[in-house]
Amino acid sequence: MKKQIIFFSAVVLLAMSCSKKLDINPTQSVPQEFVFDNNANILAALNGAYDVASGGYVLGGELMLYSELLGAGDEITWVGTYNQPREIYNKSILTNNSFVANTWSESYRVINICNNILANISKVNDDDRDRVKGEALFLRGLMYFGLVELYAKPYSAGNVTTNLGLQIITEPTVDGQVTSANLVPRSSVQETYAQILADLIAAKPLLNDEIGVFASKYSAAAILSRVYLQMEDYARARDEANDVIENSGASLTSTYAGAFNNASPSSEDIFVLPVTAQDGTNDMWLFWSTGDYGARDGDVEVNQEHLDLYDPSDQRLALFWNADDIYYSGKFRYQYRNLSQVRLAEMILTRAECNERLGTVTGAAPVDDFNTIHGRAGLGTVGTVTLDEILKERHLELAHEGQRIFDIKRLKETIEGFDYDDNKLVLPIPLREINAVGASILQQNDGY
Amino acid sequence: MRKSILLYFGFILFLLPSTVLAQMTARGTVTDAKTGSPVPNATVVVKSSNIGTATESDGSFTLQLTKSNATLVFSAVGYKTQEAAAGSSMNIRLQAADAANLDEIVVVGYGTKIKKDLTGNIAKVKGTDVQHMPVANLDQALQGRAAGVFVEGNSGKLGEGIKVLIRGSSSISASNSPLYVIDGVPISTSSYSGNPLADINFNDIESFDILKDASAAAIYGSRAANGVVLITTKKGKSSKVNFQVNMQYGMNKPTHLRGFLDAQQYIDLLREAAINSDIIDGINPLDPADYPGSWLEFAERRLTRYSGWSDWKTVETNTNWEKMAFDDDAKTSAIDVSATGGSDKTKFYISLAHLAQDGILVGNGLNRYSGRINLDQTVSEKFKLGFNLSLSQTKMNRVQVDNEFATPLQMVALSPVTPVRDLDGNLYNSPTTTYSNPYVDYKEGHYKAIIYRNIGNIFGQYNFTQALSFRSEFGVDIQNQNDDEFYGFNTTYGNGTNGYGQSSWFRGIDYNVNNYFSYKKTYRGIHDVDAVLGTSFQKYSTEEANVYGEQFPVEALQKLASAGLIKGGTSLSSNSSFLSYFARINYKLKDRYLLALSTRVDGSSVFGANSRYGFFPAVSAGWVLSEENFMQSASFISFLKLRASWGLTGNAAGFGNFAHMGLWGGSAYNGTGGLVSTQLANPDLKWEKSNQVDIGLDFGILNNRISGEIDYYDRQTNDLIYQVPVPGNTGYTSKTVNIGGISNKGFELVLNSDNVVTKHFKWSSSLNLARNKNKVTKLDGVQTLLAGNDGRYLNSLIVGQSIGVFYGPKFAGADPANGDALYYKADGKTTTNDYNDAGNFIVGNPNPKMIVGLSNTLRYKDFDFSFLFQGVFGNDIQNGAGGFMSSSFAWFDNQTLDQLDRWQKPGDITNVPQLRLGYDNGINASSRYIYDGSYVRLKSLTLGYSLPKNLAGKIKLSSLRIYLTGVNLLTFTDYPGWDPEVNTDYRADNVNQGSDFYSAPQIKNISIGLNIGF
Repeated sequence: MKKQIIFFSAVVLLAMSCSKKLDINPTQSVPQEFVFDNNANILAALNGAYDVASGGYVLGGELMLYSELLGAGDEITWVGTYNQPREIYNKSILTNNSFVANTWSESYRVINICNNILANISKVNDDDRDRVKGEALFLRGLMYFGLVELYAKPYSAGNVTTNLGLQIITEPTVDGQVTSANLVPRSSVQETYAQILADLIAAKPLLNDEIGVFASKYSAAAILSRVYLQMEDYARARDEANDVIENSGASLTSTYAGAFNNASPSSEDIFVLPVTAQDGTNDMWLFWSTGDYGARDGDVEVNQEHLDLYDPSDQRLALFWNADDIYYSGKFRYQYRNLSQVRLAEMILTRAECNERLGTVTGAAPVDDFNTIHGRAGLGTVGTVTLDEILKERHLELAHEGQRIFDIKRLKETIEGFDYDDNKLVLPIPLREINAVGASILQQNDGY
Repeated sequence: MRKSILLYFGFILFLLPSTVLAQMTARGTVTDAKTGSPVPNATVVVKSSNIGTATESDGSFTLQLTKSNATLVFSAVGYKTQEAAAGSSMNIRLQAADAANLDEIVVVGYGTKIKKDLTGNIAKVKGTDVQHMPVANLDQALQGRAAGVFVEGNSGKLGEGIKVLIRGSSSISASNSPLYVIDGVPISTSSYSGNPLADINFNDIESFDILKDASAAAIYGSRAANGVVLITTKKGKSSKVNFQVNMQYGMNKPTHLRGFLDAQQYIDLLREAAINSDIIDGINPLDPADYPGSWLEFAERRLTRYSGWSDWKTVETNTNWEKMAFDDDAKTSAIDVSATGGSDKTKFYISLAHLAQDGILVGNGLNRYSGRINLDQTVSEKFKLGFNLSLSQTKMNRVQVDNEFATPLQMVALSPVTPVRDLDGNLYNSPTTTYSNPYVDYKEGHYKAIIYRNIGNIFGQYNFTQALSFRSEFGVDIQNQNDDEFYGFNTTYGNGTNGYGQSSWFRGIDYNVNNYFSYKKTYRGIHDVDAVLGTSFQKYSTEEANVYGEQFPVEALQKLASAGLIKGGTSLSSNSSFLSYFARINYKLKDRYLLALSTRVDGSSVFGANSRYGFFPAVSAGWVLSEENFMQSASFISFLKLRASWGLTGNAAGFGNFAHMGLWGGSAYNGTGGLVSTQLANPDLKWEKSNQVDIGLDFGILNNRISGEIDYYDRQTNDLIYQVPVPGNTGYTSKTVNIGGISNKGFELVLNSDNVVTKHFKWSSSLNLARNKNKVTKLDGVQTLLAGNDGRYLNSLIVGQSIGVFYGPKFAGADPANGDALYYKADGKTTTNDYNDAGNFIVGNPNPKMIVGLSNTLRYKDFDFSFLFQGVFGNDIQNGAGGFMSSSFAWFDNQTLDQLDRWQKPGDITNVPQLRLGYDNGINASSRYIYDGSYVRLKSLTLGYSLPKNLAGKIKLSSLRIYLTGVNLLTFTDYPGWDPEVNTDYRADNVNQGSDFYSAPQIKNISIGLNIGF
């Protein structure tokens, strides 16, 4: 009898199994359908979109770094050990450059999050819906603009209907499916700009007025102003800049240095990425500052050729600092400081340039705008100003803030012997994208 | 007479009750047939049952039997197994075993078998073969010991990653590691950091049984595609307590130093490189007018900066940074004590051990205490229970992975003109050193890991009848780990932030329940049936947390309690589980026809509900030809067996627990939480499956003096899990899919030979050799080539080629006309100096074509001598750091000595392009940095002397032996780097093989030791 009981128990033990024990869910992640289920989660996804956008490969530094390295001339030198930025600095970029690949994929990651938000916008509460939609559209437009400026021929090169722009994706990726919508060729430069304008124009009226670390009416206006400037549409560029200057409530900081290395948004920031010890990325600090400030090894050095451009009494010159006779930009000197994306000063200079080009005085006469900037730099005021003086002021005022190559391209200047529309000044489409989409569909840029 | 009759009756009466309980008691002694001396610790079991005992130190045994006509099986290490009918005064004379070890007990999943009855391929490594090897990890100890088992350490760092491949790579991105099972408990091979096998004292191990073919391994179904290593620890014996003490002490050195430019060479070549760059820029820096702003000025300013207090112009300093990276006083010491013994009912094995090993790199070390208790208790003749329990504490001083500036060997990049210390005695650091100085990181920081590991199981076994038994096992593997890191104010991680500290905690709990019936019976004397039926459930849970901070007030305060700024922290958890049903039946007819069938159904939580279960059958057969009458005339053949097997095994490890789900994870912006996309869903994700055929021949000739095994196998693995690149415009970069296939075909040869067997001199050799051809058979069905060139490495996936082959530009040397680095264009003939224009070729293969182990054991009177040569042939290694250390002075990194052969003037024929500071002249990944990685190594060597028994007895010892032992004493290779056994740790995976990146050479150790038994 005892034996039978043991045998029976053994059989029970053997059969003891419960397939529910195999249902295990992750504790650090949630499924996609959970995210786009309700208002609160979609708001969290929007915050996530900002987080990815503010990553080092996108707005958190590299977009600015690439622009400055491409437009380096003899003014700055890349001395860091990373070969990826060095390739960009040398204008001999390999198609497998991992920085180039990551900037592409991280930008599209933001775009996909935005597409998901936009596809589920009806689930957002009435109170938040317009703003959320506006922010998603803004971020998407901003990402496409960042990519098209680097990975396509400039608008100023003409042939905008035939020059290749980007793959335009406006539908979200769902259920893990890679669809035919993802395996598309590149749209033209014109179509890409049209998409960017559509997003930003639609976004602007939906957004809040309050400037700072989130998208606002005025960050949309500021980016629109940049887009129009690239398109050489000076009237619209002027008007958007004017809107920012007149209505955003932003004001120049009292000193030039006060506009940088801030732990909270300055009065001049139209759109700024928050960086703290716990959160946020500032790769401009990482590459432009030195080990003494916790950064890498002072990978970008500022050369005498750049310093020579300034008047000796220029406060902007005083912001550069040196160690062992090497000069570094003072704009990104300290760790855990915010990274400005658009400053009011840029809008003032854009308005001045456009008014000067168009012979208009929208908002202010060009010379007055020039004096506002020139005066803050401690250089007094002037009675008259030329377009070249305005452009030089722009060069100095915005030095190393990520606008350099884009200004060179729209102004059709040459740099290091390369024409403004040279193939070498355009990043390659990342090799991994061409492999994943297929070379017959996704066309590589000329020169690669 | 009457008295004796009465006595006789009394005796019968006395015996009667006991005969009712146990019908008979078998008694006797076991002796060595040749010498007549008693054989202690011999195993005595009733045939086809689990009832058994072991002999006492005088060779005697007593065994209660349940029936009278039982057959007893006697076995002992070093002897042939013998059978005899049970009796009350048996005298068993065991014959010494021959090299074939045909009667050896082999552990199979959920049971044991005698080797000659095996139908699958199982390699056995005895614990005694690897005992007291001065290495930390049991996988290292297995290197070269078994055919087809490829063991490769990532580097000579202690307690870090070691690759073990059984019959080649069968997966691209899932795990390629075998399943390790200790006393029935599958153990965890993941950990927070470091190698989890470093926690195990392998001196406790009785045997390793490596299940290589599918029929042997399929009983472990889902986990078995990469083979299974069954580890059996030492068990107690019914004998008087025997103590063993081992003490060992030795020195550790690197196997090889690479050599870099000295200060004079550095200055000369750097200046030459700068001048060359100036000439390209169209200026002559030697003309004082051109000097300002020239590359030469830049280089000379750097030389001045790097020279610190000294003057480079007079070569005042000549620092050998490579030597600085190594600890020239590294030692190993070990002590372990064990006690074995027991009574009829209770048997135990207890051990305690301590190992302290200094790494060869500065700051690297391992210190392990471990203890074990194995206890078996016979409750009744039907019921047995027991436990095996081990506890260890492993402290590791870790060094950073190879691509961190703080890893010691990156010191070689520093300039030899830089003094180690300034005039105040402080260590120089960046900007005086070229990069932040790893020596500062070593001196002013630490990375201490402490791991508590508890592996154990309890079991109960009930024998319903002699044939049928039920066994229940509950096992746990508990890992508790704390990584404590602190980096001082001047270190790579701590500068600018007044230090950096991090504390990480990890807990892994793996529990496992096995329940199974075993059935073993012989019908009519010729039909042997042996069957197993059972279930198994396993759950693995991990929890981890860490916190990190900066702004320490003083360097003496290194805990985060003193951090002025807590930067962040996190906690994570993860779980996975397996549920399995298994069955196996073995049938043997007339000791010559063998058949085995097994199957396992496995469910795993790591797959979606659609494809959670996998079915893994296997079948195998054997034919012992030497038992056939027609073979009896071929008397020189003493044993001959043909084997064949087929089976399906699966793989579900190594690609994350939730790869099938579309996931979004937490993030933060502006101090507020957010959700971001992290993973693309694939609800159809399923098991990787390996289909393996094995045909084998086991033979023994000349009375089994020479014996061996030959195996041919063909393993086709399909539904490989891989992260396929997807268009970035999806918002994702990859998707986990069952993408393709890999095949591994090869043969293995094992040859054992007793070369000399005389009374005083015995010499035996064992050779194992394996050839494996690995081939990727399918990727996603569309792409046939996933090029992996990332600028530094070339490991790629190409259909028709081995996994991870090097695919990229082929270097054509320096242009004799101008010193430009040249590459072959796609036509393979014409050359170009434009890397983007270079063609892509298969320029190397990191997979070895052949691996070989050759061991020899010699014994002369009281001396023993053994050595093992291990060889790896036909693999290539890429130096990923070539673009830094052999770069024609592209930057200021110190250069390898081959750069002295640089191109200098038109007409020079060389493979080292012109030196050009600031230019990339041939430094991108290409065949230039790929080398033959074949090597032969004297893996281990031991010379021992044992005191004769009678002398040992005089000092109250049962044994005393002194020995000299060493590992990696000699290495023969053409590889110009530090060591050909290498795969840089920061990127090591299935595809990324054969790469070197400032990786430490292996450890060469010489130790002396003393064993005492009493």
